[in-house]
Amino acid sequence: MSKKESYLLIDIAHNTTKAILIQDQSVTTIAVTQTTVDEPTLDVTEGVKDAIRKIEQGKSVDILTGEKIKPDFKLLCSSNASGGLHMVITGVIGNISGESAQRAALGAGALLIDTFSKDDRRPEYKKVAAMRSMKPDILLMSGGTDGGATSQVIEMAEIIQKSDIKPRYGADYSLPLIYAGNVSVQENVNEILSENGYALKMVENVRPLINKENLGPARESIYDAYMEHVIIHSPGYPKLATWTDERIVPSQAMVGKMLYEYALQNGVNLIAADIGGDTTDIYSVYNGVFNRSLNAGIGLTYGISNIVKEAGIDKVLRWLPAMMDERSVRNIIGNMMIKPPQNLSSEEQQIQAAVAREAIRLGVEGHKVIASRLKGVITERTLSDMFDQALEPTLLNMMKTQVVVGKGDAFSDQTMENSLMILMDAVQPEGITDLYLDPDNMAAPLGNMLDHDKETSLDLYPKHGLQFIGTSIAPSGILTDSQEALRMEFTNLQEVKVSHSFSYGELTLIPLKDMDSIELNLIPNRLDLGSGRGKVVKKVVRAGKLGLIVDTRGRPMEKSRQPIKLLPIEALGRSE
Amino acid sequence: METVTITKERRIPTTGEVMVKQGQQVEPDTLIAAGTVPSQDIHELRLYRSLNVNPDDVKNHIVKHEGETVEKDEVVAIARSFFGRQTRMARSPIDGVIMAFSSSTGRMMIRGHPVPVEVFSHLPGKVVDIYPDEGAVVETQGYRLNGVFGVSGEAHGILEVAVESGDIPLTSTEILPEYGGKILVGGSVVTLDALRKAVKIGVRGIIVGGVDQKDLTFFLGYEIGHGVTGGEDVGLTLILMEGFGVNPIPDTVFDSFKEFSGKLSCIDGTTHIRSRSLQPEIIIPL
Repeated sequence: MSKKESYLLIDIAHNTTKAILIQDQSVTTIAVTQTTVDEPTLDVTEGVKDAIRKIEQGKSVDILTGEKIKPDFKLLCSSNASGGLHMVITGVIGNISGESAQRAALGAGALLIDTFSKDDRRPEYKKVAAMRSMKPDILLMSGGTDGGATSQVIEMAEIIQKSDIKPRYGADYSLPLIYAGNVSVQENVNEILSENGYALKMVENVRPLINKENLGPARESIYDAYMEHVIIHSPGYPKLATWTDERIVPSQAMVGKMLYEYALQNGVNLIAADIGGDTTDIYSVYNGVFNRSLNAGIGLTYGISNIVKEAGIDKVLRWLPAMMDERSVRNIIGNMMIKPPQNLSSEEQQIQAAVAREAIRLGVEGHKVIASRLKGVITERTLSDMFDQALEPTLLNMMKTQVVVGKGDAFSDQTMENSLMILMDAVQPEGITDLYLDPDNMAAPLGNMLDHDKETSLDLYPKHGLQFIGTSIAPSGILTDSQEALRMEFTNLQEVKVSHSFSYGELTLIPLKDMDSIELNLIPNRLDLGSGRGKVVKKVVRAGKLGLIVDTRGRPMEKSRQPIKLLPIEALGRSE
Repeated sequence: METVTITKERRIPTTGEVMVKQGQQVEPDTLIAAGTVPSQDIHELRLYRSLNVNPDDVKNHIVKHEGETVEKDEVVAIARSFFGRQTRMARSPIDGVIMAFSSSTGRMMIRGHPVPVEVFSHLPGKVVDIYPDEGAVVETQGYRLNGVFGVSGEAHGILEVAVESGDIPLTSTEILPEYGGKILVGGSVVTLDALRKAVKIGVRGIIVGGVDQKDLTFFLGYEIGHGVTGGEDVGLTLILMEGFGVNPIPDTVFDSFKEFSGKLSCIDGTTHIRSRSLQPEIIIPL
């Protein structure tokens, strides 16, 4: 594929359709229009054409010829319309094959409706009743290592057969069922399930060995089934599919792909939080391992009351001014659920920010289970391993996280300062961490271009997708109030050495105006910045849009209502 | 407010018997269709444990077989040892039917008796279509209003306006004993005490501007999570016209309620916020 090619990237979300024109490896124009998949239009291509026309008018280019895209432009589409890709997962052991299948499905951008395994507590008839009540887009069946758990896999196939699961969009087409379990019983599974009229596809096992995962074939098969069986039933998509030779892919899958490649390219560990109206996604890349988890029903509009239910009202109230009483907060949250406001009042904005913190916190907690080393593998622990994090149950380690990204409604509706506070309070980064926002969700369309022009895609994402807010310096550990927590030394623009002490329990924002970067000498007092308790850390940090954030509130954080203190760099104390 | 033609599908979630005929006039309490669904109450008995015999030996000890009806605590298997001096028995934990017995594993499955399901007309009107074995479509002429949020499903009764205007709260003082069996219209907000008193005296439904979300949580006994309601069993149907908190009912809407006072009203609090597919509904048949 020539890198000189012009790309037209389309990302169709529930409310908006975004079109991005890329010419000569640069973003030429971005146009956003309303998505037209629902009534009254019921044709997704109308919204796509509107977005393309906007680009044509702005740039005087001809992209459309009648109902077709000109061959000079390569069209790549991702979509999250109609509520995304609804999937049901089955496995034999929930936290072994079931978890591998979950990772494959979540990595492919799915919204998991339910997960069944032979060892879950529901009796068989309840599994059958529950499966019958589901209307997924795709079912992914896993179970057993290759050659293992034969009878259990067959038993699970029989449960699926009895359940006679129907697809979301009517009973007049076959539900795609991807079998990615023990390959030695593929024939038996085929025999049991072929009678039900499932669109059965056999792929390699997601867990061929107890200590090995193989998610690629299942993930690819999900993309194929999404294109061939699912998206094609949404209004206008069959027409859109004729405009491009490429698959229309789930947007969340492309977001994950973009974040993964970005983390690999920059050699960083990364965690990203994406809050929508009804879902919260957490993505992570740790030591080159990608994971995505999803909390369905936890979001900022339809899912906002669920956050209060899951986290508890006290957890939400701790982020709000003490003068806001519980009754008013509950009423505002209830009204945000039944009538999502178009423009948020300042009170609603504060509440949304508080709820977003809890949504992310719940999401990160849930993510720790998914982002873990493979379960079922027997590990030998020596005495030295007792002090080693490598065998910890989750891959997440905030001290070893270099990048945190916030994206979705929670951040696009808030000021950058509020977004910063949401990330600091919810993710609680430790050590030295760069904080970014992707408010316009450029990860999905640019992630879709990775397979065609990786270099351009990786070049454009930091430029057009990510907004660098600043660097967080947050020592880990607990002190008592007003004790010195951290001393920071640096040389200012006038070539004068400056030293400033930060007390425990503070949150300070230091704008780094006129500076591109700054070399810091950080001396924590009995706290840890990544090199050990009280160990000095030297670091060159770049200036973000807001500057440098020094968070000495301790980890785990104790002071939730601490207001942010703005400290101009000139005000930092001097010393020789 | 304009009158509209309202049609309602009344179907049972299984096959059964349809009790009405095309063209028949029905009342809200008319039974449209009835049937049964298999019970979800299934118990697996590990008889070999109760009898202390090998699983493949259980078949020699069972006294109740597949398809037979059993009562709670009825003996389903019995084993005697030591020349009849020691007896071990397995009893049914429920009233039901023996679904299956596996002679190789020594396990027995007992399912509870089928659960009856019925659907009533909910509206007065005429049967305009029949779903064979499932139900019918009922049509009526009347007024229809929608709320924004509700709890509990269908209810009907005579509409009674309990406050002077749409901006007056509905407190326990306004809930009078004679309101039993009625659908009450309140004002800007209903208090928790009023809700509890209304349940006590048998009010079937309350239509009001708002309710404090905290009071609703206390009333239900749990937090509302996802905006999907209708199945709550709290003793009455509650419909909010405006939202949570103190929300006066607009004068035009309140005046309509005053006009409908004393007439039959058929209400449904079922709400599906996510899909916007179901809003709480108030129907005043002509």
